[in-house]
Amino acid sequence: MANIKELKKKIKSTKGTFKITSAMKLVSAAKLNRAQIAIQNSRPYAKELEETIKTVSALVQNYSHEFLVESDSRKSALLVISSNKGLCGGYNSQLAKKVREFTANSDEELEFYFVGKKVKDLVKNEVTITKEYTFEKQEPSYNEMVDLSSELAEKFKSGEIGRIYVAYNIFESAIAFEPCVKQVLPMALAEKEKEELRDKFPFDFKYEPAPKVLLDSLIPQTYISSIYTSLLDAIAAEHGSRMSSMDSAASNCKELIDNLTIKMNKLRQAAITTELIEVVSGAESLKG
Amino acid sequence: MNNFTVDILTPSAIIAKDIPAEALLVPTERGQINILKDHTHIITKLSTGMMSVFGGADDPDRFFSITTGICKVLDNKIMVLANVAEEAGEVSKERAEKALANSESKLKSSDGLSDTQIEKYRRKAERAKLRIQLSEFVRNRNI
Repeated sequence: MANIKELKKKIKSTKGTFKITSAMKLVSAAKLNRAQIAIQNSRPYAKELEETIKTVSALVQNYSHEFLVESDSRKSALLVISSNKGLCGGYNSQLAKKVREFTANSDEELEFYFVGKKVKDLVKNEVTITKEYTFEKQEPSYNEMVDLSSELAEKFKSGEIGRIYVAYNIFESAIAFEPCVKQVLPMALAEKEKEELRDKFPFDFKYEPAPKVLLDSLIPQTYISSIYTSLLDAIAAEHGSRMSSMDSAASNCKELIDNLTIKMNKLRQAAITTELIEVVSGAESLKG
Repeated sequence: MNNFTVDILTPSAIIAKDIPAEALLVPTERGQINILKDHTHIITKLSTGMMSVFGGADDPDRFFSITTGICKVLDNKIMVLANVAEEAGEVSKERAEKALANSESKLKSSDGLSDTQIEKYRRKAERAKLRIQLSEFVRNRNI
């Protein structure tokens, strides 16, 4: 049975952990707030842009952009966006699980690109790592993401890879996220979807300048915006996940401290009682 | 009487949502266009400039600076997707002036700048000029 000294030590170290976890929770909460605003503000834009592209490309006849055409290359790229730091609950392991699942079900030859090292470390024995991106700061900036996207797009254009997927966690709320794999290129529409859109818009838009010019500039923009929103999603999900896991860690610490304190007090009381009994019985026997 | 609504979205912020309007002036690549109620469905590219939303009798007129993007008109709902947008009242003139001076000095000593950088500073200067103009416009209007 543990003695009082050991318990005291344990309580002290748990208190230290408690301080760290609650501080991390506060930091994550502040970061989450910022990330949440960023993602919530950019989602409508990205959604609207994507919808416009889809509609226009379905309505306009005889138009084709290299980003819209299915390529016959069997190679594909998978960009995995994870975090650089741990201590964020199931954030990375769940994404790694999703990546494994996707790899197992895919019959394509996959090339792996990583942003953030945690998932890379988890799956490095199972896949070949093509490239790992590192950034100046902890989180990549918009321009760095543009460079990254263009690099992948170049490979797609040259026919080296036939598809680009992004694996990331979608931010749902501060306590919930959803790992997913999204295809970003080609942005081909299924025939059915095209039909639906044509039914929905029996008229055509008036375009200025010509639809070709418009789409030529919009499609690359949509592609970049779709990768960038995935990154924003991933960042918000990371902070949310870290905040909630640190919250539960802090409350676990508190509980542990309470339990240990009760245990220590009990032991101390027991020691006092024994000592008292010893004194009293000693005195009694002297009286004898 | 308001006739349609306008949304202004940018990649980093929702500038305005569902603002009621009676008329709208937007700077497109081929010059400014005026959009009224029941305008035909149109998708057009925007250039850098001032966008004015006229609210009619009940609602205030609002002015925005817009930097490239697209404008979609569909069923009396106008969606402006801009790369950068700012409401006129929020423009800080001092900051815009500083940005203008900064980019102009960069352009003056343009040796060693790449073409893309020159292009970037040119656009910055253009934007700063627009913002200065806009802030002056709003101030004159309010007096």
